[in-house]
Amino acid sequence: MVTELEKIVDEKRIVKSGDEDPFGNLGKCTVYPQTEEEISAILTYASKNGRKVFVEGSGTKKGFGGLLEKADILLSLSHCKGVVEYSAGDLTITVRPGTTIKEIGEYLAPFGQCLSVDPAWPEFATIGGVIAANSSGPKRLKYGSARDFVIGLRVVYPDGKVIRTGGKVVKNVAGYDMNKLFVGSMGTLGVISEVTVKLRPLPKYESLVLLSFSEKNLHEIRSFVIQLLDSMMEPVSLELVNPTLSNQLTGLEGYTLFIGLEGIEKSVLYQEMWIKEHQPKETELIILQQHEAKKIWSTFAKLAPNPLRIKEIDESNLEIGIKIGSKNIDVIELVEACHLMSLNKHVDVRVHGGIGHGITKAYVKGNTEAVLSYVRDIRSAGCNKGGYAIVEHAPYILRKHVNVWGDPPSYFSLLEGIKKAIDPNNVLNTQRFVGGL
Amino acid sequence: MFRKKRKVQGDETILSLARIVGDDYILYRKEDLIAYECDGLTLYKGMPKAVVFPKTTEEVSQIVNYLSNCNIPFIARGAGTGLSGGAIPFGGEVIISLVRMKKLLRIDYENRQAVIQPGFVNLKLTNSIAHKGYYYAPDPSSQYACTIGGNVAENAGGAHCLKYGVTTNHVLGLEVVLPNGDIVEIGEEGIADRPGYDLLGLLTGSEGTMGIVTKITVRILKNPEGKKTVLAYFDRIEDASYAVSDIISVGIVPAALEMMDKTAIEGVEAANFPVGHPKDLAALLLIEVDGITVGIEDEINEIVEVCRRRNVREVKVAKDEAERAKWWANRKTGFGAMGAISPDYLVQDGVIPRTKLPEVLAKINDISKKSGLRIANIFHAGDGNLHPLILFDAKKEGETERALAAGSECLRACAESGGSITGEHGVGIEKKEEMRFIFTDDEIEAQTNIRSVFNPHNLLNPGKIFPSPSRCAEIKQEIITNREPVIN
Repeated sequence: MVTELEKIVDEKRIVKSGDEDPFGNLGKCTVYPQTEEEISAILTYASKNGRKVFVEGSGTKKGFGGLLEKADILLSLSHCKGVVEYSAGDLTITVRPGTTIKEIGEYLAPFGQCLSVDPAWPEFATIGGVIAANSSGPKRLKYGSARDFVIGLRVVYPDGKVIRTGGKVVKNVAGYDMNKLFVGSMGTLGVISEVTVKLRPLPKYESLVLLSFSEKNLHEIRSFVIQLLDSMMEPVSLELVNPTLSNQLTGLEGYTLFIGLEGIEKSVLYQEMWIKEHQPKETELIILQQHEAKKIWSTFAKLAPNPLRIKEIDESNLEIGIKIGSKNIDVIELVEACHLMSLNKHVDVRVHGGIGHGITKAYVKGNTEAVLSYVRDIRSAGCNKGGYAIVEHAPYILRKHVNVWGDPPSYFSLLEGIKKAIDPNNVLNTQRFVGGL
Repeated sequence: MFRKKRKVQGDETILSLARIVGDDYILYRKEDLIAYECDGLTLYKGMPKAVVFPKTTEEVSQIVNYLSNCNIPFIARGAGTGLSGGAIPFGGEVIISLVRMKKLLRIDYENRQAVIQPGFVNLKLTNSIAHKGYYYAPDPSSQYACTIGGNVAENAGGAHCLKYGVTTNHVLGLEVVLPNGDIVEIGEEGIADRPGYDLLGLLTGSEGTMGIVTKITVRILKNPEGKKTVLAYFDRIEDASYAVSDIISVGIVPAALEMMDKTAIEGVEAANFPVGHPKDLAALLLIEVDGITVGIEDEINEIVEVCRRRNVREVKVAKDEAERAKWWANRKTGFGAMGAISPDYLVQDGVIPRTKLPEVLAKINDISKKSGLRIANIFHAGDGNLHPLILFDAKKEGETERALAAGSECLRACAESGGSITGEHGVGIEKKEEMRFIFTDDEIEAQTNIRSVFNPHNLLNPGKIFPSPSRCAEIKQEIITNREPVIN
């Protein structure tokens, strides 16, 4: 196999014996293509020879799904990077998939523009990975998510064919919106070889208002948030953080709201004023501006467990990440439930949930047993609210015992149909996704 | 529904459908079907076999189940305002009209959601929630008539998409009847990122070829605190075009950024909502900024400054809501206004990177000269979505064909600039062949393969979006499905 691969990419770009890793999603060998042609040639070879291929960016999502420990080939896109095309007046950029979020941000900053996403670990996370795993952060409230900012992709299909989806313009309804198929599909349908995204102007000013409520005062959060959402306020984030995490990030006790404000300085200050005027009794309020706000957000981006930094798993104290989806306002109760449950279960839990976009993340530390039991309970709490819970990060050994994606949806046959239509031989990321797809 | 009760008489299909919806809710006589021969695109016509008006999801499911068992093709239809012919029959299809399913089922202000049936009219949603200070963002020009079900099928846009996005960015959940009659619910309760491929995103904009939407959960937004509208007059179209990119480049994303050229201005001024724009203008920009009031002032000043740098003749801010409404009425009725200066007109819908505006407008000007037909340009300049309006007279021999050819050439110019052949009207029947301007055979096949997952026998809205099969694979597929082709 390696000999065949050496005909496609330079031998320096093939690591013959795959690494060992507690998170699995490995290959017997790792290949680092630099171009779309190389990706296509590798997949053509794999599909013709019945080889299984796993795909990764830099590896920050190695713990996210996957029931097979090792494929034949691990296709890393971390060497396939760089800006292909950028036009400030169009507010769009085309980049290669392995470019990191931080690199894109630094490239755009001098032009006063930025990406519309604030995922975890921007210095490692690649744009391809963010799209494939549909990662988002607290600012999703205003920014939207990958399905909103991706306007075009080039995708290498499992048989090596290159398919373009969408285009390079911000508005486009020609044919099916095939971009959507690849956002969040965990690399099970194709390998993204080029990405075109919509950008946003870099905010001229930003601040972060921290509003901390005592643990006994939870109903106050609800009425404050409803009042805020019903006002003219335009926060970029309305993230509720549990006491454990609040303490770690800000030193504030209790449940804390992270209200992000961005825009023209005048309008940011005006919104700060609104919050001050409406500050509920018995709450603590801190306003962090510009650099101070940025500093907190960059710490925030390092909360999720990062497989690149974990080389060994201690079964008596391991960490997993859970993503819970619910209705916007239910986030308040779910953050509280996550917190209270941690006290009973002898696990250490840091939770933050976006009121206004409905995504809650919980990072849970404890022994295997306790963590597994915690997932079961949180899942049923989420489901009781009509939502769902998935495990976004867990060591390989644990993934076999926890149903990462939960039960497949009632329309699973359609998902299966899509996988079969595109990857009939299960070449790509097999068993990585919902229902073993 | 439309006449005195008469017992339905007809073939087995008609009788069976009447049993599902009731005798009053089926049309099958030729004279009753004529209104359904076409939609907002009137250049193509086909006679449906019947039109049924179900009231519930279960009725839709039963109809679809029956038709699919009988191998009879069918089309879902909303208000019929579509401009690309997505709801036009080729002949013999049963049209499933969703206009009776027009209830607003639920509004949930706390979670910013509204649940509606597909026949609910777009503007009525905003009107139903305006008293609480909320609105529904996608605002196609036909919003007083078009249904949200149709908006989902077409992924409709509007003037305010630049800042707020198109329909797909606002659809949170769908109940869908699949072409075999199964009812599925995706994005239940409007909750984001449910595990699985993004069927919500895939179905939105699939032009009624994957399923029939019977219930929709959409996002509603709080009205911005303030809103200001600017009108800028230019003597050179290039200056107006550059001003568009400049505004975006300085970091302002206006809620709307619209442009009209000389011919378009002549049309709107001759029609029902004149504003009194000077007659000798080369172009005008209509720009709206919204958000926190204290911030808007700065943005408006910056926009005025950008326009001045681009040699604007005059730039003014609407002094009150009445003036703003007048400017917008003038713009939003722009297509129809062409009737005041031309017997017929054809609307096109190309998209270009906004920085390519000057060169593409020049190309459209060349196409106009070559075809001998006037072309007016009214468009969403901010997102590069052009609407060339080709003016012609169908009574003059050969002009219709020349207009169609000129329209296609305009789309080619858009495609060649790195753009697309449609930004919000959809492909439908009209732009099927132009799909080849932007997609390869492989890419078209990748899409029809996905259609087959949902619509394996191609009974739901057949013959739309994709150009006639040019590859063996697709032809083979037609043979495998083994049905009498109702359409060629």
